[in-house]
Amino acid sequence: MVDRLDSISVSPRQDAWRRLKKNRPAMFGLFVLAALVTLSILAPWITPYSYAEQNLELGPSAPSSAHWMGSDLFGRDLLTRMLYGSRISLAVGFIATAVALLIGVTWGALAGYLGGRIDALMMRAVDVLYALPFTIFIILLMVVFGNNIILLFLAIGAVEWLTMARIVRGQVLHVKQQDFVEAAVSLGLTRLQIITRHVIPNVMGPVIVYATLTVPNVILLESFLSFLGLGIQPPQSSWGLLISYGVETMEEYPWLLIYPAALLSLTLFSLNFLGDGLRDALSER
Amino acid sequence: MIRLQGLTSRGQSKKFARIFTLTPYIFRNPILPALFLFIASCGFNHETNVESGTRQGILHVGNGDEPRELDPHVVTGSIEHNLCMALLEGLLDRDPESLDIVPGVARAWEVSEDGRTYRFHLREDARWSNGDPVTAADFVYSWRRALLPALGNNYAYMLFYIRNAERFHRGEITDFNKVGVKAPDDLTLVVELDNPTPFFLQLLTHMSYFPVHQATIEAFGAPDERGTRWTRPGNHVGNGPFKLKEWVLNRSIVVEKNGHYWDAGRVKLNRIVFYPIQNATTEERMFRAGQLHITGTTPLDKVEYYRQERPEVLKLFPFFSTYYYLFNTGASPLDQVKVRQALAMSIDRQQIVEKITRAGEIPAFSYTPPEVNGYRAEPGFSYDVERAGALLAEAGYPGGAGFPPLELMYNTSEGHRRIAIAIQQMWKTALNIDVTLVNQDWKVYLDKRDARDYQVARAGWIGDYLDPNTFLDMYTSNSGNNDTGWSNLRYDTLIAQAGETTDRERRFALFREAESVLMTDLPIMPIYTYMSKALVSPDVRGWYPNILDIHPYKYISLVQSTD
Repeated sequence: MVDRLDSISVSPRQDAWRRLKKNRPAMFGLFVLAALVTLSILAPWITPYSYAEQNLELGPSAPSSAHWMGSDLFGRDLLTRMLYGSRISLAVGFIATAVALLIGVTWGALAGYLGGRIDALMMRAVDVLYALPFTIFIILLMVVFGNNIILLFLAIGAVEWLTMARIVRGQVLHVKQQDFVEAAVSLGLTRLQIITRHVIPNVMGPVIVYATLTVPNVILLESFLSFLGLGIQPPQSSWGLLISYGVETMEEYPWLLIYPAALLSLTLFSLNFLGDGLRDALSER
Repeated sequence: MIRLQGLTSRGQSKKFARIFTLTPYIFRNPILPALFLFIASCGFNHETNVESGTRQGILHVGNGDEPRELDPHVVTGSIEHNLCMALLEGLLDRDPESLDIVPGVARAWEVSEDGRTYRFHLREDARWSNGDPVTAADFVYSWRRALLPALGNNYAYMLFYIRNAERFHRGEITDFNKVGVKAPDDLTLVVELDNPTPFFLQLLTHMSYFPVHQATIEAFGAPDERGTRWTRPGNHVGNGPFKLKEWVLNRSIVVEKNGHYWDAGRVKLNRIVFYPIQNATTEERMFRAGQLHITGTTPLDKVEYYRQERPEVLKLFPFFSTYYYLFNTGASPLDQVKVRQALAMSIDRQQIVEKITRAGEIPAFSYTPPEVNGYRAEPGFSYDVERAGALLAEAGYPGGAGFPPLELMYNTSEGHRRIAIAIQQMWKTALNIDVTLVNQDWKVYLDKRDARDYQVARAGWIGDYLDPNTFLDMYTSNSGNNDTGWSNLRYDTLIAQAGETTDRERRFALFREAESVLMTDLPIMPIYTYMSKALVSPDVRGWYPNILDIHPYKYISLVQSTD
């Protein structure tokens, strides 16, 4: 990239990044998330065990040097299952949030900027979808499209975008009355250009914060759906499944609940810290 | 409460300790101590279900799941059987301990010399719960209804021992007078059988022979209509020791003592509350918290604990039953015998019973349980992974190549799920076959089984009477409980021959031969013989472990246990 401006002027993005770096909890959260993503990608190289292969002879064993976090009822290494589970849980979390972001921001920005009857129509559609009982909506999607991981991501994203659309619309209503938008209009930019280049970048602050809060929501939602048997299929694992199975045997084999639950909590904390940090970094003007 | 025992007392002393350590913090806030005292007082004064139930004669029972129906001629499950047993009574009954046949609605009976004609004398004081007398004509009506083709009674084949019953059920004759059931007068019932059936009296204790109240059935629909409102509280009329009081979906079914019952003097319970609890862990927690007197089962992981710590409440005993998987033989690839054999041979039953179910179950290599009434089944196949691989290759899927993914269906329960997960992996390792697991509610599961809308399904069968026939005749072509689509002429013939044979040894030899046919073709894959694992509160009297795992509520009483 060619640096055309002199270095005194710092772009808002760089400014935010600098502020974020000073925020310790947020950086901690970012680090944990990055570590988790790396570990889950490297899972096959980290652990000598398979997430599916059973060792019934071993059965549920407490943490030991061979199985750092113990093994489950089928003698499968819990650490391995958590690592592979984080692939699913993190993927669900991030992909579903991305889907929600894409639909929500587009919908909200269009409704907010175009205004009038179109706005009313689009937002009533959102209201109608809101009114659908959430679980039933997802179950319906699953019935129509079958039990498929990709569709699970999309289905959850397709539900989560509603709130996002409302937030974005509210912000756009505010932003579009500002002078720089008027300036853009008077310069003869098309509506599409104004929305993509001027309106959306200026509403990204709250959107990013909300997105970081959506990720943990969605991970928990996957737990809930897997609990209902609508999510992923055995022998695959996800944090939600590990926890729901762990609850069944928490009195006999507590480690099967403690470790996955601790990992999920750690992730949720990290995301919330990061979300808070981002909000501070982006809104401090 | 003063009476504290086992876990409760330990738990509560710990709670005390915590209250005291927290005291200085709590008392800074004026609301908290009040709240705390309130909660504590609730906790200590509130009677549990078991305590109040024992005092008032109300039995609280965990009954597995929501029953599909309460109609004895429609239902097939043990969940429904428990309810029917409380609400209705057949001609004969069983002693709860020895399982001997005892009089029910019939007070006496005679058998002809050739063993083909039975004459039952009904008691005069048998009444329906609305006060109507129970007559011989009620039984004729009920058995006719059970056989009506349009009712689609899965258990209709249980009545086929009666002369011409099968032909009536198939619609070959429409005149029920030709069927061997007659009521010469109100209190006499004459039954004619095709063959001298050694277990016929036992059949009469089964729900498929239970009477239903004609006027009630017909007030809510045609006799052969399923699912009419006659089984709803307020409508239901039965002749059992209890009558239906309340049915709240997914919450409870309440039955109360039937004052018109002829033996009401013996019935000690005032009420029974049945809870549809699918989750064994929840059920066990409710038992521990004093919410249930009797559970249907014990979670797999808790058996060891109870065996060690509270053996007096764990009723662990083998019973006449088999846990197995059904194969839908109607569709590829399970229509091939070799595929089914490969699947059956490649699972390690010893591991399943030792590491997963862990209550002393016996691995099953035959459909009938190891030994009952002198019948001993031969193992029909063995655990042999290599042979299984070879068979799969012969069937056209060497090394599992090209084998379509199988769907394994089970009704919601963590026990079934764990067994399914273990078997899923065993098939994957041994045969390289992919299996997806599908869990369903009991009702959906039963409907799908009946409609044969499955590939592999978990199943369990509890013998209805003490004879190998109760297992073997359900896989004949004309049996309503044969959900596999399998039919084998030789098997049908052998079972029919056994039915005509009176010599015990000859009969058992025919059964063994039939079973070897079944275990070669393998429309079903036996896994293990069940252990009953009910938890029963020490307050419950008159509940006996027995090989059929039936516990008539008529004989159960509640006495405050002293410990």
